[in-house]
Amino acid sequence: MNWSFMIVAMLPEHMLLAGIVVLIGLDVAQVGKEHSGLVALLAVAVAALIAVMLAIVQFQGSPFPGHFSVDQGTMAAKAVVLALALLLVQMSRDEFGSDERFYILLLSSLYGVLLVSSADGFLTMFLGLEIMSMPVYVLVLIAYQRHEAAEAALKYLVLGGAASAMFLMGASLVYGATGSLALDAFVQAAQAHDTLASVAVVLVLIAFFLKAAVVPFHAWAPDAYEAASVPVTAYMATLIKAGVLLAVLRIFGTATFGSPLVDLLAILPLISIVWGNLAAMRQTSFRRMIAYSSIAHAGYLFYALLGPGPTRLQAVVFYLLAYGLMNVLAFASLPSGPDDLRRDRLDGMRALFQRQPYAAVLLAIALLSLAGIPPFPGFVAKFLIFKNVIAAGYTVYAVLGLVGSYLGIYFYLRVIQLMFMGSQPETPSDGRIALGAGVLCLLPTILLTVFPGFFIGLVGR
Amino acid sequence: MSDSALLNLILYLPVIGMVLLVPARSDGAVRQITFWTMLLQFALTAWLYLQFQPGVAGLQFETRLPWIASWGVHYHIGLDGFNVLLVLLTAFLGPLVVAGAFSAITKDVKLFYAMVFLIQFTMLGTFVAQDLFLFYVFWEAMLIPMFLIIGIWGGERRIYATVKFVLYTAFGSILMLAAIIYLVYSLQQGTGVTSFSFAELYRHRLPVDIQGWLLAAFALSFAIKVPIVPLHTWLPDAHVEAPTAGSVILAGVLLKMGTYGFIKLGFPLFPDAARAASNWVMLAAVVSIVYGACLALVQTDIKKIIAYSSISHLGYVMLGLASLDLIGIQGAIIQMVSHGLTAAGLFLMVGMIYERCHTRDLAAYGGLAKVLPVYSVFFMVLTLAAIGLPTTSGFTGEFLVLLGAFNAAWPSYTAGQSVPLVMAVTAVTGVVLGAMYMLYFAQRFLYGAVKVPHGPVTDLNFRERAILVTLVAAVFWLGLFPNEALRKTEVAALQYQKWVDVAARPAATASAPISLPTVRNGEGTR
Repeated sequence: MNWSFMIVAMLPEHMLLAGIVVLIGLDVAQVGKEHSGLVALLAVAVAALIAVMLAIVQFQGSPFPGHFSVDQGTMAAKAVVLALALLLVQMSRDEFGSDERFYILLLSSLYGVLLVSSADGFLTMFLGLEIMSMPVYVLVLIAYQRHEAAEAALKYLVLGGAASAMFLMGASLVYGATGSLALDAFVQAAQAHDTLASVAVVLVLIAFFLKAAVVPFHAWAPDAYEAASVPVTAYMATLIKAGVLLAVLRIFGTATFGSPLVDLLAILPLISIVWGNLAAMRQTSFRRMIAYSSIAHAGYLFYALLGPGPTRLQAVVFYLLAYGLMNVLAFASLPSGPDDLRRDRLDGMRALFQRQPYAAVLLAIALLSLAGIPPFPGFVAKFLIFKNVIAAGYTVYAVLGLVGSYLGIYFYLRVIQLMFMGSQPETPSDGRIALGAGVLCLLPTILLTVFPGFFIGLVGR
Repeated sequence: MSDSALLNLILYLPVIGMVLLVPARSDGAVRQITFWTMLLQFALTAWLYLQFQPGVAGLQFETRLPWIASWGVHYHIGLDGFNVLLVLLTAFLGPLVVAGAFSAITKDVKLFYAMVFLIQFTMLGTFVAQDLFLFYVFWEAMLIPMFLIIGIWGGERRIYATVKFVLYTAFGSILMLAAIIYLVYSLQQGTGVTSFSFAELYRHRLPVDIQGWLLAAFALSFAIKVPIVPLHTWLPDAHVEAPTAGSVILAGVLLKMGTYGFIKLGFPLFPDAARAASNWVMLAAVVSIVYGACLALVQTDIKKIIAYSSISHLGYVMLGLASLDLIGIQGAIIQMVSHGLTAAGLFLMVGMIYERCHTRDLAAYGGLAKVLPVYSVFFMVLTLAAIGLPTTSGFTGEFLVLLGAFNAAWPSYTAGQSVPLVMAVTAVTGVVLGAMYMLYFAQRFLYGAVKVPHGPVTDLNFRERAILVTLVAAVFWLGLFPNEALRKTEVAALQYQKWVDVAARPAATASAPISLPTVRNGEGTR
């Protein structure tokens, strides 16, 4: 094992680290702070580029055996994560200008996401999860525009802490049962029908359900999503979810599950899909609605675990790509209102098409895609997941999941209905949209719509 | 080679048109761009139709490119006897819809015509797709423009109507999606081939109980769109609230997507289940015919009369498809086109009178023949075509369907089973009921004491006359010379019969009271 290999294997992570160091340096030296957004953008862009290149050359290996390894699939996942992060940073620049604290925290959290998706042992996994989550508790609070932000951040912190505790408890039980902290040991323990291991599996799963906001562990999400500023909400809805799902895949990998575990893995996500879609219908706040929508989407993502082992990573990564892209597009094309509260109200979006036709069309595309209506990428992503679920033989769960996704069509259409068919509101939520990020999203959206096969091939076998 | 490029050009012309609309500054420019693009599309399609070789089994103007290679999804389009008439109908109605909306649509003009382009694109795509994935994409994408067309430019209860429309149709589609995935998966299991190609899927035969489930899922989706009673309740709302252009597209083409789905996919993919269910399909068709006609009889809203008459007329299509008799199947195809022409025409005429008088209440009108003579002539012609007067397209379709139904019912009657015959006879009462509601409507509308709300009114202008002359010409063309159209669809009808019937009733058509090839025009046999 030579040094250059170890450096190359973690090069995307190193780039983020370099970005963080430069940003801190700028902050300390009090120079060039107005460029902090650009620095962050550059760091993420370089990291994304490297990840794409490493994925294309099919780089693989484990620089730290038992702790950290990469292969083509994880590199593709990292590339997707970083590409989405690039859009988010661009969007944040419109929103935050050059608040270097924001970018430092964002890049740190991003570092955690990357670490998690390469972890081989519980130690690295836990480190990654914590690095990923900790900055977000602060991000919810940073530049807060509402009083509820503090409450929401606290709620998120407490539940996140509970999730970490459960994860640790599960990991220690596995260690007690197998004497190993490797993730492989966990899978073997999960397949063995022994009480200790079962408890461990359930604890770890609940920890992830909590972090991904799967019903009934979802209560923090609507509050946190609503109170945080728009880029942070977008970050939580896309990249945190991506990190959690990549971690789950890392742990459960390609293992096949026995009966009780499969039911746990199918029923809670199914309830999540149904409840998320139903609850979203009644929301009056855009971000709250997206929160419930993301609860439903967490359900689809966990459904991917029902598919045959080798197909899971591809399905999840492609779904994350399509879903993340659409979420960022939706948030980027949300006009900034007179204040945060009014910007968020669905009511203020009435007749948006008459005022800002392009924003309305972009938002409509994002929402239709999230609803899974073809030809938009969200449809292909959903199709891939349900195709795998049926291929694994869980036809009934697939049909129920699809019917659950049908319930979601209504609330997405309701927003489109408000934007295109509503009458002018008294206090319209006018204002500029994050045009740069929106256009940046639109191009890959079109490419994903026209050439879905190309991207599916990119993210997996 | 260049032929397949032509079909692609026709399919993507609406998309090109949409792009052209973006820089257009004035509403007038938007209208001109849309109209001429649509006209060009029709001209190209007419050329394509003339090039289409009758008597050739299989696809013509075919394009097949890998799309999502790892799933076996292809971008596969082509023309065959099933879709050639429907493509022609869609392209034919395009410029008429656009011209008909010139004066009616004044709000968000650019978006409106963009959506008309989009729906034209998705409808054509649905018809020409030869790959199940591609078909589904077009099928479902159609919802978006229709949702907006009804929801933005519709009547008072437009939001209710459009949400109902979308939720109804999407529910059917989502189950069809599950069935599609399962079907392709079982093809993969059975043969090792991963393919969404229609041709590949026809060849694969599933156990009959699985066929039943899958057919149920497909049929639900198609039956909602046709619509077949009792899944029809979205239709009157959508029709009444939609702007004229929306109604015309809906009645003219969109409903045919349902019947096309049955003939192209539903029945041939699951032939054993389809045969087992054929009596039930017939029953549903007869119920639709009679129930739709009865409801049309008691409506007071002129748009609703035509909406319910659509349900009745599409019942004939389903009857012809379920009869599995060659004449019936051909009749069903003709009836689809015929209904597309007459219903589109009637909705356009209702739109024209609504623009002048601002009410759809039948009781508010009377004696229009004295005030609007030209309008009344056209209205009467289309009414008679809808009733199925000989020499009009309606006659060809209905007559062939009923003949086919009798042909199919006769052998089982001689074998001692009278249910199919009873159903066929009941379907004939639909013709009588059809004449009743349409003539009753025309009588109160055109004759009697003169009642014109918001009068005085002017008669049809040149634009409106041109639209209607074109439509009426098409109605007579299909009524007087159905041979031409029948020839192009004959191979497809035979193929459909072969796929679904698979020698189940070898003597069925042979022992029928009227033998096959002699009946073509059938003038005056009613």
